Amino acid sequence: MLSIALTKGRLEKATVKLLKECGYGTEALENKGRSLVFQDSVKDIRYFLAKAADCITYVEHGVADAAVTGKDTLIENPGEYYELLDLKIGECRFILGGLPGRNPLARNGLVRIASKYPEVARKYFRNKGMDVEIIRIEGSVELAPLLGLCDGIIDIMETGTTLKENGLVVFDTVEDISARLIVNKASFRLKQDEIMALLEDMKGMVEKRCSEE
Amino acid sequence: MKQIQLPQGMQDLFPEDCREKERLRSVFLDVFRRYGYRQIETPLIEYYATYQNAYEELEETKMYKLTSSEGKVMTLRGDMTLPIARLCVTKFNTTKPPYRFAYCGDVYQINESFAGKRNAVTDCGIELVGMDESGDLEVLCCALDALEVSGCEGYILEIGTSAVFLMACREAGIDEDTGKELAELIDRKSIPDIEKMVKGLGLSAKQERFFQKLALMSGIDVFTRTEELCFSESLLQEIRKLERLKIMLEELGYGEHIRFDLGKAAQLDYYTGIIFQAYVNGAGTAVLSGGRYDDLLNKLGRPLPAIGFSIKLDYLLDAVKTEKKEIRKLFYKKDDLVSAIRMAKEMQKDGPVELVPEEGGE
Repeated sequence: MLSIALTKGRLEKATVKLLKECGYGTEALENKGRSLVFQDSVKDIRYFLAKAADCITYVEHGVADAAVTGKDTLIENPGEYYELLDLKIGECRFILGGLPGRNPLARNGLVRIASKYPEVARKYFRNKGMDVEIIRIEGSVELAPLLGLCDGIIDIMETGTTLKENGLVVFDTVEDISARLIVNKASFRLKQDEIMALLEDMKGMVEKRCSEE
Repeated sequence: MKQIQLPQGMQDLFPEDCREKERLRSVFLDVFRRYGYRQIETPLIEYYATYQNAYEELEETKMYKLTSSEGKVMTLRGDMTLPIARLCVTKFNTTKPPYRFAYCGDVYQINESFAGKRNAVTDCGIELVGMDESGDLEVLCCALDALEVSGCEGYILEIGTSAVFLMACREAGIDEDTGKELAELIDRKSIPDIEKMVKGLGLSAKQERFFQKLALMSGIDVFTRTEELCFSESLLQEIRKLERLKIMLEELGYGEHIRFDLGKAAQLDYYTGIIFQAYVNGAGTAVLSGGRYDDLLNKLGRPLPAIGFSIKLDYLLDAVKTEKKEIRKLFYKKDDLVSAIRMAKEMQKDGPVELVPEEGGE
């Protein structure tokens, strides 16, 4: 039996849809009520929903054999797991944004950046060879430059609406993001047949979807 | 507030676990002894510089550091391999290799906070120093025999080699830094990132395919697929070496418990030949890891090839069931302690006895 952790929220619907198209029995996940654990009606798989970063923790400790979680969380929490497949769902990107005409990249000296993703921000500016002070903000990061807390933000952008509505612009794309299938290192060996079957099913569906586009 | 808590990452071991750990330790050391390995002990503390000299990519923040009375930086040992290598270079330099050493001792490493990882674990293992690849099979058999006596169900020893990846990089003209980056991705089996990176390297189509597939070249049937994937004869030869190891292990009856993974590319500045890890049901990480490290002793000043492995006893404890054994109680009257102990000594012949004074006994 496989245990799979799914990221709840933004990715949840798209993940369940992908699994359903693969022919998996996802009824329990679609009408979930208050349960936390869901049995697949076709395959010998048990699903549970968790926050993105917790999905990684569950996989690292092996209580989940696999998980579907966003690349944004994976970059922020590098660890002991295998990242086997880009599921091409939940696609968005990390951007560098800020007030028009105030591009942080054009500044000399220290820049101040607000972000929910300090690791991503740190890495980005290190590669650019720039000095950066990162201010961790938990939500509504767009507020920070408006209030004058920082010179720019690094954040996830899906459609760009929130950014635009707050009068902010995009200066650069930091990295493209999408959901990934990650697997526990021990499960990869001990349940290799089941893991490879899951991988092949999902890979086949992702490729089919791409060719239909 | 009084500081009476344990530091982060440390833990006390309770009686049932202690007993099980002691059992594992003794059955493992017994297997090692049968293979001719002699047990040694080294101090818990080494000079930090010894570790710096030996490991290029030593992660400074992961080592516990303290200072000596002369102000030198010292460290709690992070592994058992380096102390033993040091021993072979400084103390055994008048006797002829090979040296076979077994050990069981605590090693320390600072892990990230709150990740639920232990910072102190007991390593139990062997090092075979001064023997080239001809010693590989012996060490693998010893590892498999140890796993067998551990009592774990469904263990798997997975074997790979760093030689395949290193040779492929050389032949494809991939420079060292790029190779390191790619090795890290392959070792993490980070398939989407591998695909992206390999596309930008300017390789031939066949080479591209090889690197993209390498991370998933594992399992039982791995050797049936290698021929079509290899882009050179020498690469194929390197893989055949591993296949020969497989055939010999099967001849010796270990077939059921071995797997192969050509996508092992961990710690390339350290491992020079085969790399292997064991996984068991109930433990989320490898419980045994080892490999060939032919350059390490050279860095300390004595060029000798070497191979070894260690079993993490604490990780294995998670996987083996420990049953609570009841200890017999002997009730005695307080004024009759001498005859109680005499009786207890008699009973001890059939197992442990706990002396308990009778309530309100006269």
